[in-house]
Amino acid sequence: MTSTSPHIDTVVVTCTLLAAGLPLVASAVNFLLPAKTGKASGWLSVLAILGSLAFAGIVFNKVWNAGEWSVQQEWFTIGNTKVYGGLLFNNLSALMLLLVSAIALPVHIYSTAYIKPAEQNRYFTYLSFFCFSMLALVVVNNLVMLYAFWELVGFSSYLLIGFWFTRDNAVKANKKAFIINRIGDIGLLSAIIILFVQYHTFDLAALFGHNGLVFNSSIHDGVWVAATNQLPSVWQFTAFAGIFLAVAAKSAQFPLHTWLPDAMEGPTSVSALIHAATMVAAGVFLLCRVYPLFNTTELDILAIVGCFTAFMAATIALTQNDLKRILAYSTISQLGYMIMAMGIDAYASSLFHLVTHAFFKSLLFLCAGVIIHEVQHIKDEHQLDIDPQNILYMGGLRKKMPVTFIATVVGCLALVGLPLTSGYLSKDSILIQAFEWAEAKAWYYKILPVSILLTSGLTAFYVARLIFKVFFGEFKLKEILPDINLHVSDGSLAYRLPLILLALCSLFPLFSLNPFLYEHAWLFKGFLPVDHLARENVYHTIVPAVVNIMSVFVVYWAYAVYIQQRKLVFTQNSFLFRLSYHHWYIDTFYQQVIVKAVMAFSRALFWFDRQVIDGLIHSFTSAGKFLAGLSAWADRYLVDGFLLLITQVVKGIGSFFRSFQGGKVQYYLYSMLILILTLFIIKILI
Amino acid sequence: MNMLTLFIFIPALFGLLILVLPDNLKQTFKYITLAATLIQLALGIYLYLNFKTGAEFAGINHEQQFQFVQKLPWISLNLGNAGRMQVDYFVGIDGISVLMLVMTAVVMVIAVLASWEIKRNLKGFFALFLMLDMAVAGVFCALDFFLFYLFYELMLLPLYFLIGMWGGVRREYAAIKFFLYTLFGSVFMLLIMVGLYLSVTDPGTGNHTFNLISMMNPANYSEGSVFSLTSHQMLFGIPARVLGFTVIFIAFAIKVPVVPLHTWLPDAHVEAPTPVSIILAGVLLKVGGYGIIRICMGIFPEVAMSGAFWLGLLGVISIIYGALNALAQRDLKRLIAYSSVSHMGFVLLGLASLTAEGVSGAMMQMVSHGFLSSMLFFLVGIIYERVHDRDIYNFRGLATTMPQYTTFVMIAFFASLGLPGFSAFVAEAFTLAGTFKSELVPHWMAVCGSVGILLSAAYFLWTLQRMFFGKELLKGGESWKQSLTGLKVREKLALFPLAVLALALGVMPSLVFGKINDSVLALIEFTKQVVR
Amino acid sequence: MITLTHYLLVSAALFSIGLYVILSKRNAIQILIGIELMLNAAILNLVAFGKFDKINNGGQSFALFAIVLAAATTAVALAIVLNVYRRYKTIDPDKINQLKD
Repeated sequence: MTSTSPHIDTVVVTCTLLAAGLPLVASAVNFLLPAKTGKASGWLSVLAILGSLAFAGIVFNKVWNAGEWSVQQEWFTIGNTKVYGGLLFNNLSALMLLLVSAIALPVHIYSTAYIKPAEQNRYFTYLSFFCFSMLALVVVNNLVMLYAFWELVGFSSYLLIGFWFTRDNAVKANKKAFIINRIGDIGLLSAIIILFVQYHTFDLAALFGHNGLVFNSSIHDGVWVAATNQLPSVWQFTAFAGIFLAVAAKSAQFPLHTWLPDAMEGPTSVSALIHAATMVAAGVFLLCRVYPLFNTTELDILAIVGCFTAFMAATIALTQNDLKRILAYSTISQLGYMIMAMGIDAYASSLFHLVTHAFFKSLLFLCAGVIIHEVQHIKDEHQLDIDPQNILYMGGLRKKMPVTFIATVVGCLALVGLPLTSGYLSKDSILIQAFEWAEAKAWYYKILPVSILLTSGLTAFYVARLIFKVFFGEFKLKEILPDINLHVSDGSLAYRLPLILLALCSLFPLFSLNPFLYEHAWLFKGFLPVDHLARENVYHTIVPAVVNIMSVFVVYWAYAVYIQQRKLVFTQNSFLFRLSYHHWYIDTFYQQVIVKAVMAFSRALFWFDRQVIDGLIHSFTSAGKFLAGLSAWADRYLVDGFLLLITQVVKGIGSFFRSFQGGKVQYYLYSMLILILTLFIIKILI
Repeated sequence: MNMLTLFIFIPALFGLLILVLPDNLKQTFKYITLAATLIQLALGIYLYLNFKTGAEFAGINHEQQFQFVQKLPWISLNLGNAGRMQVDYFVGIDGISVLMLVMTAVVMVIAVLASWEIKRNLKGFFALFLMLDMAVAGVFCALDFFLFYLFYELMLLPLYFLIGMWGGVRREYAAIKFFLYTLFGSVFMLLIMVGLYLSVTDPGTGNHTFNLISMMNPANYSEGSVFSLTSHQMLFGIPARVLGFTVIFIAFAIKVPVVPLHTWLPDAHVEAPTPVSIILAGVLLKVGGYGIIRICMGIFPEVAMSGAFWLGLLGVISIIYGALNALAQRDLKRLIAYSSVSHMGFVLLGLASLTAEGVSGAMMQMVSHGFLSSMLFFLVGIIYERVHDRDIYNFRGLATTMPQYTTFVMIAFFASLGLPGFSAFVAEAFTLAGTFKSELVPHWMAVCGSVGILLSAAYFLWTLQRMFFGKELLKGGESWKQSLTGLKVREKLALFPLAVLALALGVMPSLVFGKINDSVLALIEFTKQVVR
Repeated sequence: MITLTHYLLVSAALFSIGLYVILSKRNAIQILIGIELMLNAAILNLVAFGKFDKINNGGQSFALFAIVLAAATTAVALAIVLNVYRRYKTIDPDKINQLKD
């Protein structure tokens, strides 16, 4: 064991290994056990994740604010390069370890009730495997292992999205998710390779640590110079582009965000854990890990893309009718906030928002799961042909499902960022810093904070729409079927307990004792750079006030539109409505243009392979056959013909002389006479 | 008795046994063959475990560093003034070949297990099978060019008959195509071999020699000979050594196969019976890669360096071309055949980089592809044996009908598309790393190569979606459903070790890298030295 | 005055007639007659040249000898012709071609 820091805490190392390893053990046991185990598999995984949470707690306690250190052991040697397997401990890994296991536990408990016992074995095999990959991803200390777990996380997400593999949509969605994530993966792989070649190491601490290799390299005259190597500066940008692709794919940023809404085909509990709280945050996590690599231009690109994604996703969420899709677009939008925060140098706020978002978004998804579960029941009972996720069929559920209602409202308030919630703290910190960032720059940089402010207004609207459509008014199905039997409830303790837990975590006390000042949040402080200057300026007062007043107005507006049935601002056939309803046509574009082009190209290449390359081979064959035919002809008619000619001549001469031997005595005499006469004549003449 | 000699000739011995046994014992032939391959596997494991590592056992261009060597005079003709013609029976292994041998032994056992489906003319099949086994083992061990060539050509004959007699509908076409393609390459190789023989003299005896290791030392070339490094002879207006490299490279490129010399492969794979497909993909393609390392790079290192760009370009083209073609297939076996083209492209790309990472990655890719392609072809064979159909669109929802089968398919597919934790990931990642690191090939090739990883995900996952997921729907209806039974014990016995091996190599790549590292470093060092 | 030349001319004529008869006739008997004519032409020559051997009369005596022989061969030939006729019912030499091979 070697280490980059003098203090190695073996307890911490063991606890970390156990925290990541327990889910793997649970997954392996479930995989090997027969499928009939049912509920036992579920409880095994719950126990495993409970253990993980406990160990993560110990690790967090010891590592938080205790400096950065790592342990590693040689994994294998290739050429002269040693590749290590190791763990990196700093605030980030400790926090992520705790966060992932903390979100995973309620989701596990919830899943034991949500998934049918017959399917639990398979489900928990996958889910535990995901937990293992995710927990390992956040603590590894080098890029190779980071990449490995990065992909394994995507793989387990693939398995879980396609959990109901007989549904065509689910299977298409998981394929799409994996392939889009693969685009990110090859970006990450390229970036890792570039970094490896430039710095000759995969070690995260050595690369991106304080005063690390990346910090000490620079770009001069188009050359990217490091102590170990130098490359043209375009490769520095390529490395950034690769990482950006990886982040965009995993964290569902434009232009690679289209897989996330489709991923909602998976079980809702999976969406809560993976596609809202943990895996999609891995992109932001990666940005944190490699943060020192980026220069200002690249950070600006991040900020712009994040801002655009946040805005775009929010506009799409306005018109969606599928409960989970609304939440999915809201996730994309919130991830956009985080990426943008990274871009505007609000590193700590971004992570803060990541954590708070993880809690309230998984809470919202679990609530959605309860609602969908109940509607599904009604659907099955009455054999209705409806989509159980469509909010247009819901309504008035607040009296039937009080716990769910309250939990959803808490989650939504946090999402909108109203005071007393965790979302208020984290979101406002991002908004304030966005204004601060733009202040020092040219006027057009102001577009960014303004549009992000606008986005938060949109967020308030679609959240309010969701609440009003689902929980207020009358149950819509009753209008279609008046005699419907509505026995809808919050469900068992396994449903309610996770909701209550997560709802509590979505409120301010977990993060800051002062509900109004994000600067006081312990989490925020944990990520501030050493030389951070607290700036107290006008934005710290104005921005929260504006946001909250706007949000309240917007919510009231939504109330007016959906409960009091006032007129909508724009009609359903307007261009903007259609643009939003069809997800800005991005998916259609990909499907119609890119996928079709690739398929057409591949078919063309196959044609080329068959007709041109093989055709060439075949024409060689034909040429060979033709030559063979030619030589066979020559053999037959020229070579053989010559022989035949000789025999013919000989034969002719022979038969000529044979004719003298006619058996006719007189003829003999006659020829004798001629011969003698000839002799005489010759003799006379000569 | 030398272990390598045993390793090579055990199959031949058992093959003879099968030939002399009467026909009424034909049910035992497969068990005899299985026994032969199992003994070979045991020997292979023994070789692997007793293979010594360290810089002093690196091999490559030092004869005394090879292990398990046996060198016997074989053909010795006194040619008067022209000296003595000397051909040795010379076998030995270094880090480059030891893993090829172990992999061959494993794949052969799997291929025998897949041969249970063969019903016609068992004696001929298994005799030819064992002959092929012997030839392949010989190729990987031979250190004398003549011996190498002999084994190399000996592989062709049994394969021709195995495809042509036990194959599918268009078997004659495929067999002839395969045979002519390969022969085309190797015939010209013969000329270069003779040229090399006439150029190289054994420093010990002063005679011309076929010794491959002597051919690697530039000092052994006689002054003014055709392939001498110093004399810069021209042949047909091309430098002789470039021509020699090119000709031998084409011979091996056909085997690998490299686009555009690959079109025999889809036909041969599709028409060949399952065990032969397994051997073709699992072992035969690696003969090409191995030959490029041992012969092209060993004997003509400076040409390999100066031509690295073109080798790398061919590699990248193969990766992307193969992957795109795989995407267009609807025959599952053809899809896998094209995926082989794509995966073997990584081998060429890694070798072209001539860096330790790239060459090790290429070696790893060969081993990994050996196991994974065997697994894939075995899996296709299972479904073909049951319903005699392989069209992707004729199946749907197989995951419901055959859950265990689908699990294995998913393992094989995900391992092949380079999921971390499986061997292909390590191989492809380090191949690309080596490519990027190399000063011989441009950086963009690494980036282009990674597109192949993306495309492999596309065609494998699309296949999964079309064939295995969704609602169950089979072209043959109920009768197919009856035929599509779960996996038999024999099939599990074949698939399980392959899955475990792929996983083991992915989790512990040192199983491979530990054995090959010294040789790879020696090879890189050697190429640099020669150029200097 | 009859000179040696006249003898020889007669003899040559006889010989030519005989030759013609032999070559052209389709009857073995006629051919035999042709042979006799040629033989007699030769004998006539012998007698004519006998004037150069007045002491021994070699010419005449040789001619006598030849006449006797000719008679004998004719007898044999006629016998053969008779036998041929018996066997083939023809004495046309063209039709009797079984001796040819």
